[in-house]
Amino acid sequence: MKKALEITLGIVTSVGGFLEIGSVTTAVQAGAAFGYHLLWAILLGTVCLIFLVEMSGRFSAVSRHTIVDATRERFGFPFFAIVLVGVVLVFFMVLVAELGGIGLSLQILTGIGFPWWAIPVSFAVWLLMWKGTFGLIENGASILGLVTISFVVAALKLNPDWGAAGHGLLPGLPGDDKAKYGFIAVSILGASISPHLMYFYSSGAIEDEWDKTYIPINRFIAGFGISFGGVLSMAALVTAALAFQPNGVEVDTFEQSALLMTTAFPKWGFFLFAASMLFTCLGAALETSLAIAYFFAQGFGWSWSEDLTPSKNARFCFTYTIIILLAAIPLLVGIDPIKVTLMSMALTAATLPLAVLPFLFLMNDPIYLGEHRNGWVSNTVVGITILISFVLALIAIPLQIIGG
Amino acid sequence: MDSALSWIGTAGMAGDAWLRQTTPDTYARQTLELSHQNLRQISNDLLESPPLGPDSAYLNTVLARSRRRIARLAALITAKDAPDFARELDLLRADQRIVKRLSDKIESEE
Amino acid sequence: MHLVRDVLDQKLLDREDCEMGRVDGLVMKVGERSQPRITHIQIGGTTPWMRLHPVFARLAAKLARMWGPKRADPVRIPWSRVMTVGRDIKLDVKARETGAIDWEIWIARHIIERIPGGGHEEEG
Repeated sequence: MKKALEITLGIVTSVGGFLEIGSVTTAVQAGAAFGYHLLWAILLGTVCLIFLVEMSGRFSAVSRHTIVDATRERFGFPFFAIVLVGVVLVFFMVLVAELGGIGLSLQILTGIGFPWWAIPVSFAVWLLMWKGTFGLIENGASILGLVTISFVVAALKLNPDWGAAGHGLLPGLPGDDKAKYGFIAVSILGASISPHLMYFYSSGAIEDEWDKTYIPINRFIAGFGISFGGVLSMAALVTAALAFQPNGVEVDTFEQSALLMTTAFPKWGFFLFAASMLFTCLGAALETSLAIAYFFAQGFGWSWSEDLTPSKNARFCFTYTIIILLAAIPLLVGIDPIKVTLMSMALTAATLPLAVLPFLFLMNDPIYLGEHRNGWVSNTVVGITILISFVLALIAIPLQIIGG
Repeated sequence: MDSALSWIGTAGMAGDAWLRQTTPDTYARQTLELSHQNLRQISNDLLESPPLGPDSAYLNTVLARSRRRIARLAALITAKDAPDFARELDLLRADQRIVKRLSDKIESEE
Repeated sequence: MHLVRDVLDQKLLDREDCEMGRVDGLVMKVGERSQPRITHIQIGGTTPWMRLHPVFARLAAKLARMWGPKRADPVRIPWSRVMTVGRDIKLDVKARETGAIDWEIWIARHIIERIPGGGHEEEG
């Protein structure tokens, strides 16, 4: 019974936790600009994430270590420090983007500009972490995030051309605006393959005291949950293609994105979008803050747990407090969260090797995993996707900067 | 020109949503104002480096008219005048079709 | 025992399973006629930063002397206190008495406990 409940909750986490401002913004931009032609990027990112999340859960269940623990122990402090700096900088940008996403959702609902929301939103996120338990954070935000199922309903209501959509699942090059196409493809990959999910999931497996008996459950959760999350992202792209392209709208701002479901749901579309973004960005902000704090605490051997009172893991709590405070500053001064989102997603893709390659080594280490090491399929899928993301990022980011 | 079409389209979608009373007034007005600002910037850019062809001047005229319509739409939201809003929105849609036609023609000539 | 693989950078727990940090360094005694042997485990201070570059170690020392418990020296635990070496390294000490969690206690008392809901770090 307990495991059945955990499966349900795990799937809810994967579904509700998959979408956030990065995956929605990039999917909507892609659909508006290029129709179905970038569905392959979401598919590729989703498949890679399924493998990464399954590996994260399996690693922690078998070795009883988190990924960060093992990175420090296996590769030593100097290498760990490099990974820490690279990964935390990108995670920080993602946190700014997620807090900004909550602020923008409140802006479109109330008319009050997002800089005014920076402090209340940051405080709310901090308070949930200060007072909440891991279970409340993991499951509460994810249950609320299920409102994003409205994306699937919207896409179906608009009667997509399934043949053309199927075609979009195969990679191809656009006729024009290749730089923009490449940049959005890279951003989609960065949004889908979010390393913070890996670290969060691995830490969660330890918080929830997983062991080897959880391996089959983990596989199911990763496969089913993340797949459905990928479907939600694809639904956002399809809806954008059908709602925005006929009106000639290329989505560059959050205000434009807010019109995503007004064609499919004339009465409720605007509010469904606002609610979707509010809850998914909240969940992602909590996960990202935790991922950063976990990185420091686990790497330096501090006590850490969302289930302890703050004074029992003072450095861990102090870390996320400072991080959230700092993340509010760019929003307070009015830096556009959408620009931060797009750049952070592209940088995530560019820095994926830093997070994932050491992890791939660990997944093949018999000392940690014994007979539960990776097979050639996992290694190949993850290795190739990371390579593609990295190469695309190296090409697309400079092109986009040059192209303005 | 794709950007100009995009912002006119945005104003149209936001206007439709407001007419159906499915978005807050502040959101609709702010989106129209954003469309207006961006269109003004695009028009200034086009004046500095105008596209080639005899339709270039007419394109500027239509864009300027679209901008005025969008500004009027934002004002009509404040006045909560739905009938005038609907009429102005139809005229904006007509302008959008003209801009699309002109833009396709200029691109094919280039 | 493979020192780098099994000891260095491993997590340390005290006799009550309280986290004490990680093995940031090892102190060895090298005699003229005897085998080199480990005498102490080093935790914190400038030890990990020295492994990166001396510049970071000097910066860490400077910051440590300005703030918090104001100690820059690493904590040394005699190797004889090691009980088990496995998934973690368990020590026959009480963390609080070694100085290894001085920063944890300082931040708990001076910052965390002053925020409502922070609790008290000495509570059972």
